[in-house]
Amino acid sequence: MKKAIALALVAGAAAIVAATAVAQSSGKASAAASPVSCSGTLKIAFVTPLTGGASFLGTEQLTWAKYAVKTIPPTLGLKIRLLTGDTPVEQGSAPAQSLAQKYVADARVVGILGPSTSGAVAATSQTYFDAGLAHVSPSATRTSLTKGDKKEATPAFFRVIPGDYIQGPSDANFMIEKLKVKKVVVLDFQEPYSVGLADAVERTLKKGGVSTTRLSIANTVTDFSSFVTKVPNDADVVFFPTQKPGDAQTFAKQLLEQGKTAKVFGGDGSNDASTFKTAGSYVSNFAPDITGIAADAAILAGWKKDNPGTPVGSFGPPSYGAVQVLLNAIKLACNQGDGKINDRRDVIRNMKKVKLNNWILGGNFRFSTKSNDPLNAKFYIFQIQSNGSYKLVG
Amino acid sequence: MDTFIQLTVNGLTLGSVYALIALGYTLVYGILKLLNFAHGDVFMVGSFIGFGTLQALGGATDPVVPVWLLLVTVTAAAMAGCALLGVAIERFAYRPLRDAPRIAPLISALGVSFFLANSMQLLFGARQRDYDIFSLSNGDLYLKGLDIGNVKVPLLRLIVIASAFVLMVVLWLLVTRTRTGKAMRATSFDREAAAMMGIDIDRVIVFTFVLGSALAGAAGVMYSLRVPTSASVGFLVGLKGFTAAVIGGIGSIPGAMAGGLALGFAEGYLQGYLPPEWARWSDLFVFVILILFMLFRPQGLFGRPDIKKV
Repeated sequence: MKKAIALALVAGAAAIVAATAVAQSSGKASAAASPVSCSGTLKIAFVTPLTGGASFLGTEQLTWAKYAVKTIPPTLGLKIRLLTGDTPVEQGSAPAQSLAQKYVADARVVGILGPSTSGAVAATSQTYFDAGLAHVSPSATRTSLTKGDKKEATPAFFRVIPGDYIQGPSDANFMIEKLKVKKVVVLDFQEPYSVGLADAVERTLKKGGVSTTRLSIANTVTDFSSFVTKVPNDADVVFFPTQKPGDAQTFAKQLLEQGKTAKVFGGDGSNDASTFKTAGSYVSNFAPDITGIAADAAILAGWKKDNPGTPVGSFGPPSYGAVQVLLNAIKLACNQGDGKINDRRDVIRNMKKVKLNNWILGGNFRFSTKSNDPLNAKFYIFQIQSNGSYKLVG
Repeated sequence: MDTFIQLTVNGLTLGSVYALIALGYTLVYGILKLLNFAHGDVFMVGSFIGFGTLQALGGATDPVVPVWLLLVTVTAAAMAGCALLGVAIERFAYRPLRDAPRIAPLISALGVSFFLANSMQLLFGARQRDYDIFSLSNGDLYLKGLDIGNVKVPLLRLIVIASAFVLMVVLWLLVTRTRTGKAMRATSFDREAAAMMGIDIDRVIVFTFVLGSALAGAAGVMYSLRVPTSASVGFLVGLKGFTAAVIGGIGSIPGAMAGGLALGFAEGYLQGYLPPEWARWSDLFVFVILILFMLFRPQGLFGRPDIKKV
C-alpha cells in the first residue's frame, strides 16, 4: 500500500514537472509567434534593483521611467503599461533570471527596460534573445556585454549609455592629464562591475607610466580601515569602483582619519550626491547634469512636478532616454506591421533605426553601426565641492 | 611599526564592537543554553534606532544639543529600544519554547532574525544610512585625537573603544557584584536548583535579554558611528560576534570580551598584512579560525570543557 502511494506521488510529481515544461515552452513559442495589436495596451518591463545596496540606482531610474511612460506614448499613439521587477544586487542573478522567465511568457510584453546592472544583463540576455525581446539598459556599462570575442550579451541587448571601455580609459586619462598622478591605488570588490572597470583603469594608467597598486576587497566589507592602512602615504588617487556610494564616503573619511592625502575617485556606481560628499573626491558618470541642458527644461519641470522634493540625480535621465528609444522602436515595429507587432523580434530589428534629436542627455542619439552602443557617447567627470555639490570638471 | 600600530588600533575598534555583540550571545547562552541567532539583527535595529534619534536631534549637520550629549542620547536610545526588543523576542519567540527540544528555539531564533531583517527593509528600504559623524563638529572627531608615534588615533575611535570598555566593565561588575548578577550566575549554573532557592527564573531570563540586547544596541551605534548601516548589516556582523563568543568560550563573559578583541585584531592584521590576493579572503580566514576552534578547542579560550558523568 505504502509502495503504491509512493509510486503514485512520484508519478504525479513527474506529470506536474512535464506539464510545466510543456506549458513554458509552448508559452514561449506562443509569446514569440502570435501577433500583438498595437491598439491595445502593450507592456514593457523594467528590471532594476529596487531594494538592496544598489536601490538608490533603481529607485531613481524608476521615477524617470514612470515619467517617460506617462508622457511619451501619447506622442507616439501608443498605450504602454510599465511593469517593474526587482533585482537586489546582493542576491546575484537569480531574481533577474526569474523575472526574465516571467516576462518572456507574457505575450503583451514587447520590450524590456534594463536590466540596469551588468550582471543581470549577462545572466538573462540569452533568455530575452531566445524569446525575441529587445532589452535596453540605461546603466549596464560592463565592456564585455557588447565588446570582445565572447560577448556576454546577445544582439537583442542595447544600451543608451557608454560602456566601461570608455569609462575606464576616460577616468584614467583624466587622472593622468588633469590630475598629473604619479601613484594610484586601484580597488575592486570581486564582482564583475568593479573588476572590469578596475582592469580598464589600471591598464590605461600603466600605459601612461603611472605606478599602480591593486587591492581587492570582499563585497561584504564595510569597515575599510585596514585596507586604508595599505594605501601608500604618497598615493595621489584611490580608484574606488563601488556600487554603494556609502562605501565610497566611508573610504574617503577613513583616508582622512588616517592622514592619507589620496583622493577617492569613484565610478558611476558611486554617483550619489546625498551620500558620497567628501570634498575633493571625484566621480565619473555616463550622463551629465541635465539641469544645465536648456532643451530639457520642459521634461525637467514635468518630472519635478511628479516627484516634488526629489533630487534630479544623473542615473534617472538615461532611463527616460532608454524608454524613449524603446518606445520609438516599438512604434516603428507597429508601423511596419500595419498596427500589429507580428513578431517581438521586429522591435529588435527596428532599434537601430531609432534616431532622436534633442536627446535628453544632450545632442542627438543614434546607435553605433558597429555595436549596440550609442554613437559618440562619453563619460563625465565631476569633482565634489565643499558644499557637497558635483561640479563638472571633465 | 606605524602600520602595526594603525592595524592594532583598527583591530581594537572593530574588536570592541564584536565584544559587545559577543557578550549578548554569551549571556543568553549561559542562562538558557540557547544560541540567539536574532542577536545580530537586534544589533542592526539598534543602529537604526540610533540613526533615527540622531535625525530627531537635528542630525550631524545641525544638532540641537552639544556633541557629547548627542552621542550619549543616541546610544542610550538604541540601548533602551533594543532592550525592549529583547524583552519582546524572549516573551513571544523563546519563552513558549523553553521546555521544547533545543532545536525548536534555535529555529525560532532564525525566524526572528529573518523577520527583523526583512521588516526593517520593508519599513526603511535597503538604502545605506550614514550617521555622517564627519560633519559633526566639522570633522574634529575624525581629524583630532591622540598621537602614538606617527599614528593618530582619532577621537571617534577613542570614544568607541572607551565606551565599549566602560560597558564591559559595568556588565562585569553587575554580574559579579550584585544580587541580580548572583541570581544570573546561579541560574546559569543550575536553573532548577536556582528556582528551588527562590530565584525568579523568568525575571532573571528577561533581565539577561535586556542586558544582552542593550549591549547589542550600543554596539549598533558604535559600529554605525564609523560606517553606514543598512537592513542587511546584522547578518555578517552578528555572525562574527557569534564567532567571537565561540572563540572566547560560549557562556564565559571574559571569554566573550577576549574573543571579540581577538577577532577584531585577527581581521585587522589579516587585511593589513596579507598580500592583496589573500587579504580579500579575510572573512574566510576568520571563519576558518572558528572551525579550528570547534575542532581543537571547542570550549574556547576561557570556557571549561564539557564534562559528562559516565
